[in-house]
Amino acid sequence: MGARERILIRIAAARGTTESADIGDAIRRHSRGPMPRIEKDLVPRFRDRVIKLACDVAAVRAVNEAPPVAARYLSEHHLPPRAVCWPELNALDWRSAGIDTQARAARGDDMVGITGAFAGIAETGTLMLLSGPQTPATVSLLPETHIVVLEAGRIVATMEDAWDRLRSEHGKLPRAVNFVSGPSRTADIEQTVTLGAHGPYRVLIILVGVQAKSL
Amino acid sequence: MQVTAMHFKRKAGANLRNEKLQKALEKLQSKFVDGRAVVIAELSDFEGLRDAAAAIRDRVLNNLDGYLQHFEQEATARGAVVHWAETADDVNRIVAEIAAQHGVQRIVKSKSMVTEECGLNDFLESRGLTVLETDLGEYILQLAKEPPSHIVAPVVHKSKEDIADLFEQKHHRPRTTQITELCREAREVLRPGFLAADMGISGGNFIIAETGSVLIVTNEGNGRLSTTLPRVHVAITGIEKVVPTLEDVTTLLRLLPRSATGQSITNYVSVLTGTKGKEDADGPEHFHIVLLDNGRSRLLGTELQPMLRCIRCGACMNHCPVYQNIGGHAYGWVYPGPMGSVLTPAFVGLENALDLPNASTFCGACAVVCPVKIPLPDLLRQLRHEQVKRHLRPWQERAALRLWSWLAQRPAWYALGTRLVVRLLCLFAGSGKRLRHLPGVSGWTNGRDMPAPTGRTFRELYRSGRT
Amino acid sequence: MRVGLFVTCLVDMMRPSIGFAALRLLKAAGCEVVVPSDQTCCGQPGYNSGDQDAAKALALKLLKEFDGCEYVVLPSGSCAGMIRVHYPALFKDDPALSESFQRLAGRTYELTDFLVNVAKLKAVPGDYSGSLTYHDSCSGLRELGVQAQPRALLAKMPGVQITEMREATTCCGFGGTFSVKFGEISTRMADNKCEHIAATGAGAIVAGDLGCLLNIEGRLRRRGDLNTRVLHIAEVLAGEGECK
Repeated sequence: MGARERILIRIAAARGTTESADIGDAIRRHSRGPMPRIEKDLVPRFRDRVIKLACDVAAVRAVNEAPPVAARYLSEHHLPPRAVCWPELNALDWRSAGIDTQARAARGDDMVGITGAFAGIAETGTLMLLSGPQTPATVSLLPETHIVVLEAGRIVATMEDAWDRLRSEHGKLPRAVNFVSGPSRTADIEQTVTLGAHGPYRVLIILVGVQAKSL
Repeated sequence: MQVTAMHFKRKAGANLRNEKLQKALEKLQSKFVDGRAVVIAELSDFEGLRDAAAAIRDRVLNNLDGYLQHFEQEATARGAVVHWAETADDVNRIVAEIAAQHGVQRIVKSKSMVTEECGLNDFLESRGLTVLETDLGEYILQLAKEPPSHIVAPVVHKSKEDIADLFEQKHHRPRTTQITELCREAREVLRPGFLAADMGISGGNFIIAETGSVLIVTNEGNGRLSTTLPRVHVAITGIEKVVPTLEDVTTLLRLLPRSATGQSITNYVSVLTGTKGKEDADGPEHFHIVLLDNGRSRLLGTELQPMLRCIRCGACMNHCPVYQNIGGHAYGWVYPGPMGSVLTPAFVGLENALDLPNASTFCGACAVVCPVKIPLPDLLRQLRHEQVKRHLRPWQERAALRLWSWLAQRPAWYALGTRLVVRLLCLFAGSGKRLRHLPGVSGWTNGRDMPAPTGRTFRELYRSGRT
Repeated sequence: MRVGLFVTCLVDMMRPSIGFAALRLLKAAGCEVVVPSDQTCCGQPGYNSGDQDAAKALALKLLKEFDGCEYVVLPSGSCAGMIRVHYPALFKDDPALSESFQRLAGRTYELTDFLVNVAKLKAVPGDYSGSLTYHDSCSGLRELGVQAQPRALLAKMPGVQITEMREATTCCGFGGTFSVKFGEISTRMADNKCEHIAATGAGAIVAGDLGCLLNIEGRLRRRGDLNTRVLHIAEVLAGEGECK
């Protein structure tokens, strides 16, 4: 009898009965806990939260307006117009905007990563990214600058709503679901928050399908 | 990790006199206490959320074997290998075997308190492997060869000057005390480590039975890097960390970052399921999950079971006036503060940590903030009761309490005894009305006067007709 | 209302004036007050040290002594908490006693809580005049919800000026035997409390538990502060305090 059996037997003995509840049934119900009330207008809430998390935000009406916005951002931050890009997004016209993109996973020397997002969560200003062949996880992680193209229609109120959407659109979880809320940060030194730890230093979210407004 | 909990009192005393530490501990207030209060106020029904979270944890604990088996089934179906470890030594052995199996030489680690329990780093290094801690605080501790003093903010006890000195010594770069520059330096030094690593070791804030996933939360991104870049990922966590569904973990995530760091959500929440798919461009090829018991199952079905609800947020120690004054190292093991004062005796033996359950005033501040409503003062009292039952208390203490109890049950003797004592105290105090020394209670009089009584008890005065 | 007054062992020995102040207040509230003469200790010292048997014996004794009273009132949050919260817990495995102690708990009150919420005291007999700051004792606050009540009563005194201190709800470091067993930590906690008191500039520090008051006064005097008055809320409300 190995460790697994000994541990399980010890646990069952502590419960005092060999009866175990129908775990599968309880799990399948997917009951939600108490949830905060989120205003109906999700986009302003989302935008407000991501700004508080130190993201930069731009708004465009159509997705083809995203590359020029990204190009302007890179130039404002004195960053070279070169990026690693999700294959899923590489069909956009980056070249005309002056950005040289490569559709692949990121490497250690990539300075800019361009991704989309499966969803945005208005409650906390969080991006939900799913890993996959067309959406490699490293693109949002290794480069210092992360640019996200997010359809406003994919902003949901809560993480519970995001899980439901994932279940209905994909069925099972990808290898990695990454929830991203702002640039990376640490407060390990004297509890002082410093932006830019191991992940990106800056995050630009380009909201698509929203009236362009100045921030 | 080696247990030094038996030296609690001496270390606590030293820490009280350590001015640098005292200054560092002041920083807990603004971020962890005030910061937490702000984001908790955002929730319209914090108490309702706590009730729900406690219920989720209890549901699991009452069916822990069922949920663990469901988790194992789902995780295995997605290509992960699930290992079961009864003891710390088992974990170390299993991880070393996994490393050998995959030809691993270089390892990167994101923060895991369970691996501290096991002393995993030292074990792997003794086997000739290199282990690089990547969480900034843990990296600093690795350089300084010190244990963490807090479960969420491991180097809360260090000043930026301490860290500047350390970096200058180890990185051979010009010294800076600018916090942004120190962070940048750490990023630059650690980045090559991520890229060159064969294996990443992480903990698991939660494991999800529904999907067989491991969930980790970080702010720095080191957790994502450690679990994405290397070809092997090993996640190690306690058996009690299983949560039934994605919805349940979402409920707990509303409480964990708020309680821990005063954030509505941590920068990164990663839900990791299975291995890199054939067409994936990145991700680990091998995913091993190690489930550790190490005494947890022994708490099930006992008065201490609620302790297993713990989600390792650190709120209890942040709000504990004892911890706030002495810091974490005095507690002598992995887990400090109120939760450590329950877990350390429970895991390493009551007799090795006698002071920990006693070093509390039962003020209850911890119980008020615990997101899963663990009745910490009650559990500490239960441990004190265990100590009495097992005759682990000093005989003088037992005798004094026995005497008091004996007297209190006999009103006539009590009256005699108390009248004598108050007259003596009044006499010794003299006209100054204060006692500077009192035999047997130097713990009080070393730092405080004892205000003298007036010399008559209430009962005798009342009896004599005074109103 | 027939009220049984349990003065507590600390008050009995160290500051009977608090017991008499409580008596005066309850009478001012129109209560018939009895003081069972065999009362000693609620059992908390033994209980918190892990000796459940000793605590049970004293609980049974107290139950009997206060049998004829409609209410049991104490000038102490920690002792009232012992009766309300911990006595029922001690006997939870005995159905008959469990019920008795639940009923006892239901009619046991900390003094200010009783005066405000049960007796609904309109006017306060004391005439204290001066600035004071209030320390919220832990058990009273977190086990019994005593926080607004003492302040509501103090607000009825035109001469009283309350200046709230920072960290009024942080433990003063008494904790019963903790104050002796972990004297260094306890002294530091008391010292922190004294700092916060000093920062208010108040002439007096007031609280609802004598354990806290002895601890705070002991540290104040050792620090060289001989002027700040240390008073129990009952003494202030009932008229023990002199004008400033």
